[in-house]
Amino acid sequence: MNSNPLNTEQHLLAQLARGDRAATAQVYNQHYKTVNSWLIKNGGTASDAADIFQEAMVVLFEKSQLDEFRLTCKIGTYLFAVSKHLWYKKIEKQRNQPISLPDNTDEGGDWAYEDDINAHHERETHYVQLNNALEQLGEPCSSLLKAFYHNNKSMQEIAADFGYTNPDNAKTQKYKCLARLRKLFYGVQAK
Amino acid sequence: MSIDNSYIWNLAEAYVAGEMPDAERTVLLSRLQTDAAFAAEFHECVDMIRSLDGSGKQQQFRNILQDVHQELANKPSRSIPLRTHYLRTAGIAAGIALLTSFTTYWSFNRPDKRNATQYNVLRREIENIKRSQNQLIQNIKTANTSAPVLAARYTGTGFAITNDGYLVTNYHVIDGADSVYIQNRDGAYFKAIVKASDPKNDIAILKVQDEKFRFGKTDVPYTFSATKSGLGARIYTLGFPEDEIIYNEGYVSAKNGYEDDSMQYRLELPADPGQSGAPVLDAKGNVLAIITAKGNKDEGNTYAVSSKAVLQLMHSIRKDLSIRIPKNNKLSNLDREQQIQKLEYYTCSVKVYKK
Repeated sequence: MNSNPLNTEQHLLAQLARGDRAATAQVYNQHYKTVNSWLIKNGGTASDAADIFQEAMVVLFEKSQLDEFRLTCKIGTYLFAVSKHLWYKKIEKQRNQPISLPDNTDEGGDWAYEDDINAHHERETHYVQLNNALEQLGEPCSSLLKAFYHNNKSMQEIAADFGYTNPDNAKTQKYKCLARLRKLFYGVQAK
Repeated sequence: MSIDNSYIWNLAEAYVAGEMPDAERTVLLSRLQTDAAFAAEFHECVDMIRSLDGSGKQQQFRNILQDVHQELANKPSRSIPLRTHYLRTAGIAAGIALLTSFTTYWSFNRPDKRNATQYNVLRREIENIKRSQNQLIQNIKTANTSAPVLAARYTGTGFAITNDGYLVTNYHVIDGADSVYIQNRDGAYFKAIVKASDPKNDIAILKVQDEKFRFGKTDVPYTFSATKSGLGARIYTLGFPEDEIIYNEGYVSAKNGYEDDSMQYRLELPADPGQSGAPVLDAKGNVLAIITAKGNKDEGNTYAVSSKAVLQLMHSIRKDLSIRIPKNNKLSNLDREQQIQKLEYYTCSVKVYKK
């Protein structure tokens, strides 16, 4: 077995996990076309393909964040299988009825990533709730937390942007915001 | 509360980031074990931060994906260096130009290369000497005129433009001839020479060498139509598919001829080899066309060159040769039989000799 390509892929995945743009672009450009043409053959549009493939990339990204993360197949295989699965689920949702999942006994692994996808959907629901809570938080907390967590701003930058005299004051404000968010979020979850 | 708040978040943040010094970490872990209320609060904080971190990272990753996708969508599927690109375009353009010029060249030089299977010229090839009794007698009668010694290689039909010996026939009839003779109504032979020809439209103008030769007693009784007749016009023809003059009639079946040649008509008219060069006349006795060829597909499909082409050729040579183009139609009031009786004098068989 030639392990060299797998090593390269592992390296690529490590970079992707860190949110490296070049690695992400490389993976994306390498595998998008396959998914795109498959989806178009299976009743999707180009924009469906973009949505589905990006979702699959996110699944891969989230998986790569886990400590115990190990990919047992090639990146392309994984992305293709997950994309297929996501597409069938989407069709199922649109038809509002269960579909018979095609038997892919020849490939065997098509539905093997069910767990990953379920975890992904759970996480997405969680994040949607979190973002809703974040929106309800009101200003300046909503913007401040988004600036820190979504836009990767440092406390110095935030202090300057939000008019705090120093980063420590900004940090105190951030902790206040986090406390409010926690109340709001877990309050919502308790219901 | 606020001090405590800051304290616990600070702790949680450091814990999540893994930046906690070992000593502090052991203190924290022991407190988590003993203080259940603190532990619950602390874990909530940690979860909160992890969720925010995770959703933030995912959001950033999604932004990258959007970016990458935009780039991919905007990029042309294949990038060709500019010079190579233009070289290819130029190559294709040159190819098209070359093809166009060859096509044009071919189409202008086409008449000589007409598809032999679709288009049969109607000169008659004589393989055996076969003279009718009638003709032999006539030959004896006019023994003083110079009849050719050999049998003709091809025969066609011709008809008079002027009474004093100008006549028109197909170019393909006289093409490559060593000598051309015409045989008039009485069966007499007269040597003719080619005065002008239009290979493209397949017509030729001949002149009987004998200065005293006349087709009939009067000027040519018909005129040449300067315009094309309409579809369905009734037409008839006189020609020499055999040694005897033969009458046929039909109608104009298409305004354009072989391969849409606008200088031709397509006629529904039986025609046989030897009738090449025969006049096609309408009911009033105007010459509309000259029979040229027949199509292969069915019997009646005959092509004829429009009289316009004859007029053009006549106009081009009239200054040098003083041809008087016939202007008086003396046939228009006559019935068909009378027309034919007159026409017989002005129609002749064209005999072509070739080695």
